[in-house]
Amino acid sequence: MNTISKNSTQGHEIGQAEMDKVVAAVRAIKDGPRSLQLYMDLCAKCGTCATQCHVSEADPERRTNPAGRSDLIRKMFNEDGSVIRKIASALSSKGSAGLIDKKTVEEWARDFYECSGCRRCAKFCPFGIDNSVITRKGRAILHSLGLTPTRLVDTQEVSNKFGNDEGFNRAAFMDVINFLEEELEEEHGVPIKIPVDKEGAEVLYCGASADFQNSPDTVMGYAAFFHAAGIDWTMSYEACDAANMGLFTGDDPHMKAKNKVLHDACMKLGVKKLVIGECGHAYRIAKFIGGSNYWGKDIPYQITNIFYLAADLVKKGAFKLDPSRNPIPVTYHDPCNFARSTGLTEEPRELIRACVSDFREMTPNRDANWCCGGGGGLANLDSAEGVKKRETSFQEYRMNIGGKKKLEQIRATGAGYVAAPCANCKRHIDQLMEYHKMDVKVGGVFDLLNRALVLKNGN
Amino acid sequence: MSAAQVFIGVILPYVTVVVFVVGIVYRIKKWNKAPAGKMTLFSAPATPSEKWKQILKEVLVFKQLFDGNKSLWAGTWIFHAALLLIIVGHSRVVTDFPLLWAALGMSNANVDTMSNVVGGAAGVIVLAMGIYLLVRRLLVTRVAEISDTEDYVCLGLILAIVISGDILRFGPHFDLNVSREYFAGLLTFQGGPAPSNPWFLIHFFLGQILIMYVPFSKFLHIPGIFYSKSLIYQR
Ligand code: SF4
Ligand code: SF4
Repeated sequence: MNTISKNSTQGHEIGQAEMDKVVAAVRAIKDGPRSLQLYMDLCAKCGTCATQCHVSEADPERRTNPAGRSDLIRKMFNEDGSVIRKIASALSSKGSAGLIDKKTVEEWARDFYECSGCRRCAKFCPFGIDNSVITRKGRAILHSLGLTPTRLVDTQEVSNKFGNDEGFNRAAFMDVINFLEEELEEEHGVPIKIPVDKEGAEVLYCGASADFQNSPDTVMGYAAFFHAAGIDWTMSYEACDAANMGLFTGDDPHMKAKNKVLHDACMKLGVKKLVIGECGHAYRIAKFIGGSNYWGKDIPYQITNIFYLAADLVKKGAFKLDPSRNPIPVTYHDPCNFARSTGLTEEPRELIRACVSDFREMTPNRDANWCCGGGGGLANLDSAEGVKKRETSFQEYRMNIGGKKKLEQIRATGAGYVAAPCANCKRHIDQLMEYHKMDVKVGGVFDLLNRALVLKNGN
Repeated sequence: MSAAQVFIGVILPYVTVVVFVVGIVYRIKKWNKAPAGKMTLFSAPATPSEKWKQILKEVLVFKQLFDGNKSLWAGTWIFHAALLLIIVGHSRVVTDFPLLWAALGMSNANVDTMSNVVGGAAGVIVLAMGIYLLVRRLLVTRVAEISDTEDYVCLGLILAIVISGDILRFGPHFDLNVSREYFAGLLTFQGGPAPSNPWFLIHFFLGQILIMYVPFSKFLHIPGIFYSKSLIYQR
């Protein structure tokens, strides 16, 4: 990844002006979105979420308790709220006295970046309180103060400059594409094209740009699939990245601007479908947060995920798959953003079952899966740079706390391959396996398809 | 006739009603007005009618808690169910329903026995579960660490009301005809002072405090649950 010099606002000292900003932002919740207003009032402090959050389970402390973390904002809000709550919070031993100070806001930067925004707590909270909404609010406030972890800010800046998080210029991107085409031909024995910027194509494919370097087999799987299915598709250089750090940093303008890159490419190329790949948050933003919500109900293209296309064709028997080519036991990790935020759970499984000879579920799974620990942008964070109060690096945190539940789950399956269709999950789980000396490969679902696919006249 | 009887019996009830109604209406209006973006949490029901069916089901059986924490589910479901039963039963403190009993073919003695058995049991159960919830809040680390004054105030208030109510039921005889006469007056705005029984005064006073506290506290979860669930189940 290209790096850009440190954001000038990073590591800003917190003074009175910054504190005023924090207070104003928290106060504004009273006229904010319905979710936040409700979450300020409803939490019964029942403690259920503490036992259903992978972080809180791995490191049971007040600061990791979802309701406790949300209290960072809730208490500040209540101090401003009704007289009765004001009295209650003043009387409280953990009350808000002193909550609005510099030290606490520095701790926010640590605590709000320990939640991976996985929404599992919302699944089990009796009121459906989604603590990730409060986390994102906290991060948005931090972002306005220049207190976002350095790596995420850098990535956003690279993205603003190049249109993709990896910092590919056109030449570098085309090099990767050419390399992948050569590899594909070598593997399948027939030339397989990866069209770029083809106007009038039916499908624009778009995934995480990190895949080009970190998961080339996944990208080759897409190309082989489109080839075998006979779909008229293209990639776009300008829109070669659907990843979007704005969801993680709470930076709404960035999220919208990055989504616009996809919209513009669809309009320019005149495609009928925008197809997102193995990337949970990218698909969530493209279809559920952005897309028609940003650009109007009547955008002239559909937004879907490659899993829907592929599972449909596999069901119809559109191509030949040889499961014996993937003999090692495979398990499937449900990326939170797929399972809980877009409802995509069955299609990847159908695909895997058709491509491998030994598929094993982890438990719990689907919409009750444990987050791998790399969600919410954490997978991108290694050092603690930009977060004053972190005692350990983000990587140590992910390996020992965030990833603990997932590690146990994967171990229990005895699988030799974890299919994790998300760039963030892949990076994090791969590190997790290596750190804990597990002999387990981590990759995508389309890697498996690429291997199982038996092409006409090819191999 | 004491000052307490007049204050609790003649003045406070009207204040309670006004505070409660204005508070709740204000809250609900505010929630309705607030922008609600889509934030579907899958697997969410596919249609609006299925959505409301599921919400109703979850509110009635506390499904999330059942999945998330079985012992809390048991304790709190019984607690809420018994409270609901007791609230319904309180209608008999305000008035009697001779026509209903006649339709059901029950004699006065029958009704009193049913009330004593069911109401009495509910009163004991709600006390036991309330104590369980309090002990849990104090002793279970993951709950204690997030518990605040407000949480103890809410639970303590309910417990105090339950205890005074149980004393009224199990202690020296409290004549329901006295309370019915009082409420009849109150409802027609010709209220006399509240019955002089000190436990009644305590019970009635705290009950009114609780009702007024609802719009300003976590008791808002009663109306709020429909809003918060609707948000995440909206497709
Ligand atoms: S969103 Fe996930 S990580 Fe964050 S508090 Fe909830 S369960 Fe924990
Ligand atoms: S499960 Fe819900 S109500 Fe209970 S403590 Fe957590 S956020 Fe609050």
